[in-house]
Amino acid sequence: MSYLEHNLRTVPTGWRKVLHLHWGLILLLTAVASVGFLMLYSVAGGSMTPWAGTQMNRFAMGLGVMLCVAFVPIWFWRNIAAVAYVASLLLLVGVALFGVTNMGATRWIDLGFMEFQPSEAAKITVVMFLAAYYDWLDVTRVSRPLFVAIPVVLILIPAFMVLRQPDLGTAILLVIGGSIVMFAAGVHWAYFAVVIALGIGLVTAVFVARGTDYQFLQDYQYRRIDTFLDPAQDPQGAGYHITQSKIAMGSGGWSGRGYMQGTQSQLNFLPEKQTDFIFTVLAEELGFLGGVSLLLLYVLVVVFCIASALQNRDRFSSLLIIGIAGTFFLFFAINMSMVMGLAPVVGVPLPLVSYGGSSMLVLLGAFGLVQSAHVHRPRSRR
Amino acid sequence: MIRTPLRPLARILDAREKGENPDAIERENIRKRHEAQRDQTRQRAEGRLLILAAMFFVAFGTVGARMGLMAASQPFEPSVASSGQTILAQRADITDRNGRVLATNLATHALYAHPPHMVDKARAAEELSKIFPDLNPQKLLADFTGKRKFLWIKKKLSPEQMQAVHDIGDPGLLFGPREMRLYPNGKLAAHVLGGAGFGREGVSSAEVIGVAGVEHAFNDFLRDPVNGGAPLQLSLDLTVQDAVEQVLYGGMRMMNAKGAAAVLMDAHTGELLALASLPDFDPNDRPRPLTEGDAADSPLFNRAVQGLYELGSTYKIFTAAQAMELGLVNAETMVDANAPMKWGKHKIKEFRNKNYGPKLSVTDVIVKSSNVGTARMALSIGANRQQDFLRELGLFSPAPVELAEAPGVQPKYPTRWRDIHTITASYGHGVSASPLHLAAAYATVANGGWRVQPTLLAGQGMQRDERVISQATSEAARHMLRQVVARGTASFGDVPGYAVGGKTGTADKPRPQGGGYYDDKVMATFASIFPAHAPKYVLIVTLDEPVETSGAQPRRTAGWTAVPVAAEIIRRTAPLLGLRPEIEPASKFEVTRASN
Repeated sequence: MSYLEHNLRTVPTGWRKVLHLHWGLILLLTAVASVGFLMLYSVAGGSMTPWAGTQMNRFAMGLGVMLCVAFVPIWFWRNIAAVAYVASLLLLVGVALFGVTNMGATRWIDLGFMEFQPSEAAKITVVMFLAAYYDWLDVTRVSRPLFVAIPVVLILIPAFMVLRQPDLGTAILLVIGGSIVMFAAGVHWAYFAVVIALGIGLVTAVFVARGTDYQFLQDYQYRRIDTFLDPAQDPQGAGYHITQSKIAMGSGGWSGRGYMQGTQSQLNFLPEKQTDFIFTVLAEELGFLGGVSLLLLYVLVVVFCIASALQNRDRFSSLLIIGIAGTFFLFFAINMSMVMGLAPVVGVPLPLVSYGGSSMLVLLGAFGLVQSAHVHRPRSRR
Repeated sequence: MIRTPLRPLARILDAREKGENPDAIERENIRKRHEAQRDQTRQRAEGRLLILAAMFFVAFGTVGARMGLMAASQPFEPSVASSGQTILAQRADITDRNGRVLATNLATHALYAHPPHMVDKARAAEELSKIFPDLNPQKLLADFTGKRKFLWIKKKLSPEQMQAVHDIGDPGLLFGPREMRLYPNGKLAAHVLGGAGFGREGVSSAEVIGVAGVEHAFNDFLRDPVNGGAPLQLSLDLTVQDAVEQVLYGGMRMMNAKGAAAVLMDAHTGELLALASLPDFDPNDRPRPLTEGDAADSPLFNRAVQGLYELGSTYKIFTAAQAMELGLVNAETMVDANAPMKWGKHKIKEFRNKNYGPKLSVTDVIVKSSNVGTARMALSIGANRQQDFLRELGLFSPAPVELAEAPGVQPKYPTRWRDIHTITASYGHGVSASPLHLAAAYATVANGGWRVQPTLLAGQGMQRDERVISQATSEAARHMLRQVVARGTASFGDVPGYAVGGKTGTADKPRPQGGGYYDDKVMATFASIFPAHAPKYVLIVTLDEPVETSGAQPRRTAGWTAVPVAAEIIRRTAPLLGLRPEIEPASKFEVTRASN
């Protein structure tokens, strides 16, 4: 299924690529990011500083990155997938050795002008490398144990390094994101069944090991799980995030308290309201309708990606798109579930809305890959 | 998987026979196989993608449904988050004995600011300083432009001020509802009521807590929701209190005193009908406590309750009553009154070095206020019995009245009690107590001997649980007190029709830091009962440093200062108290009205 079988002359070149970009997707991403600007402006009490202005600059920068990535032919990205993967592994090693420590976690590398989070990039490079791997691999051998073991190792190496930072949320994202690519590539479902069974076993083991010297997670991670299971047991302490965000969402009701009128958010009850918990601000101020609208925007992004992946007859492109869409989906699904008390608080930002440079740049870069795959998709001979 | 052979023998042979290239068949078959394989992978990939899509949508649905559920839920406050209880602003009213309001609540508003929401900070600061002249516009602007996100500007606003602030129109200026304590009678009964201030404050309400007086003493009661907002009914009578305060103020001015106190008490129940201390203050706007000087000079100081004074000759009736109670004397017994009396190195003199001796009846000792005669009786009573008696009258312990200030007022008396203390205490020197203590002790002596405890609560019944002196002694003491007014030192105290009895007391004020006594500064007290033959009320009037200047010599004795003021108070309040003027039964008392 490679480009050798297709007529390259039908792929647009030069500035004609602009016409073939997936403009609907770009508009959607801009809309999602604009929701983010509005919320950051509101959280700051009606001020562009300190968040909204910076976020806009970053979005503009990210759009630039996206277009640059989109103009580069997709086969170039496939060819450097392995290099990118190794580079991101090296960066993760670099973090472990020279990283900047904030709030008990070593996740950042100081680039001088900004602090960069290599684990964000790793989410994309893992997906890229897996897509390239399955593009290379003969379809008939996809489900052979050896060829299943290879991508599993490829996913687990960065996941383990991220878990050591410690950053449970990103590690989960890496594992599930990689699994989505494997699933889409057609790995036999029995493997997934076995892994899920093992996962349940592991969760049991984690809880059994708690309190011993061999416990797998940090104490704060255990507490987050406890809090998730019963937020009411400690509303002032570890359950504070959840309790306050539930109050905020409940007080928002159907149509919200009105833009910039949220008491929970404006009066500083909400923790990390500009980052991980920004959805509660939106839910309080714009209500259920606002929340569902944002959810619909996200759904549309994913729908556009799946449609593009279905159209695309290049295996690498298709897998890459679905992997990126899956990662994006995981971002906001985990964030929203966490905010709504459906999942433990693991520290995953709301994509394109939460304040944060690395994830914005990386996500828009990833959508650049999607655009590139879309622009350079093989057309039929006719 | 059953594969079709790439080179099916039959077709190859067939083709060879026809002279065609059999490789074409193989290529054709390879292409078909590839296409089949591709379709299969494609289908599988599409199937997988669709499964993934379905899973995504299930997740979307879950998140959306959860969002709907949470939006539909009522917002709740977790109980622990608000640390126990919400701020309770309610506070019950305080009324007088007839249900007239002494303290109530007024809904008002507090003004606060959210500087980040303000539109024009400079203009807001300017306008605010115009509405509130005490605010400094520069300081306000500094607060608004600083880092603060929240600040209080004014705790209480009048409706006019609120409208004016509203008209500034700045969205960063906000109002919080407040319950404010209001004392509609202004200064009236200020020392009893005390005052209230704000405790814990929130944006939407604030605690109103008592800071002094009954407001502080009954703080928990007033704030207790269990009482259902029932008012606290005091024993004070608004009208009587007002009359007492007016007359006392006038008397204080006329007698050039720097302070005054009056206590009007029901002689049987101990209920206080009026309690006044001058100078006073407005509890709606309590002044700040003095930071230097004597706290007793502050208007906040309650002279009637907190002021501990040597009450002088008013104590003589206690000595006489006890001597009669013990059977040592009766009203007609002649006692040695030769002055001056020598006791060790001390010399006991009479007022202006008079000599009433050689002998005086007990009645005349009281009527003429003889120090020597009282001292002789006290010596025959003895130190221990004298102390026990004063203690039983409540003169050695803090008065059990329901005021926040009262428990801390410990009367002073010598710790090592020698005979000289027995002598001085018998005429009220060397021991000190408040006018309120004196009122309770006089009530006990006058009401038939039943011990009285002062109270500010209405509805206390007769206090008849402990007898201090007998009925007969009480009657004899009353008779003596009547004689003091009828023909003795308190002749200005007579109010026709009300048979006032009483005893004067003029004590030199002690110099601070124990430097003996002032020559020209006295504490003049008149302790009175009325009507004397069946006492219903006790009135104590105390003037601080009075000087009566109408005569050739300045006069400071209680008979010239406190007594006329007390008489005027009785003249004004007795009708208000429902007492009818009556002609005294001539058979009971031989009355000769002394002309002064």
